[in-house]
Amino acid sequence: MRALRAAAAVAVVALLALLVWDVAHSSGGKVAREVDKGEMVPAPAFRLPRVAGGGHISLASLRGKVVVLNFWASDCIPCKQEQGELNKAAAKWASRGVVFLGIDEVELRSFAQRYLQHYGVKYQSVADGDGAIAGKFGVTGTPETFFIDRKGRVVPPHVVGSTAASQNSGSLDDGIKRALSA
Amino acid sequence: MKLIAVLAALALVVAAPAAASEQRPTQGELEAMLVCPTCHVPLDESNSPVAQQMKAYIAKRISQGATRSQIVNELVAQLGPGVLGVPRTHGFDLIAWVLPFAGIALGAVAIGAGAWYWSRRRPETAGNSLPLDEATERRIDEELARFDG
Repeated sequence: MRALRAAAAVAVVALLALLVWDVAHSSGGKVAREVDKGEMVPAPAFRLPRVAGGGHISLASLRGKVVVLNFWASDCIPCKQEQGELNKAAAKWASRGVVFLGIDEVELRSFAQRYLQHYGVKYQSVADGDGAIAGKFGVTGTPETFFIDRKGRVVPPHVVGSTAASQNSGSLDDGIKRALSA
Repeated sequence: MKLIAVLAALALVVAAPAAASEQRPTQGELEAMLVCPTCHVPLDESNSPVAQQMKAYIAKRISQGATRSQIVNELVAQLGPGVLGVPRTHGFDLIAWVLPFAGIALGAVAIGAGAWYWSRRRPETAGNSLPLDEATERRIDEELARFDG
């Protein structure tokens, strides 16, 4: 009986240890949290399928360029509100080596493709079908925008919500300038 | 020969609906077997944006004559294995896979240990029984003697 009790205690301790390990090793929210504290952190690596056109894009392949990473979804109203501004900024900053990359969050490809076509999005988008990359960045909703410098570091600020919203006015250009000068 | 024919007919009866469901899946059965990847409830109970997309996609693919496996595989390819309602195979969710087997193994060990313990204990219990008092012992002897006689 004593052995059984000891085994149960060991099992409970092991389960707790596994839970602690899992929580400690999940990077959920870490990037956004650190960046919001004003720190620069390495951007989590990813390789995701393109929403349209086939093939994959990896973040590593964009090293040496400033990357504006915009998490979006076709059913997200603030995403639609900021899309015009993102399109203009992407065209404006392209000559300075700034690449815009959309990350479409947990939705079916055909709906995302329709959105890109409808809003005339010229820059590339990749599909984060299960939301794993959004989890690594600590994205809590759409839209959210991160700025990655030429060395692959996420630089502050990180924009939560539409970049076209009054409280985020100028945040897109500010973020890009910071990433270019980092 | 008759037995083989009966078994074959039985197999056909069991397999036919499964094959029909594979070839001609219904919206209801697919919605019941799949899970909304954002809210983690069965698709037929969810009304989230992605669940609505999945339902529309399923309806479209059924109308195009896609099989159940095709539709499921396409959804898994786009949204990940989370749509199957299967726990992850790493991290804390691994417990969901391991625990049932660990439980069965532990149960088997516990039953074995219990059986061994009780089988060892029985003779001891008999040996440790309380001695009878003299009067009772005498009465039993008399009864036995009368019985033998």
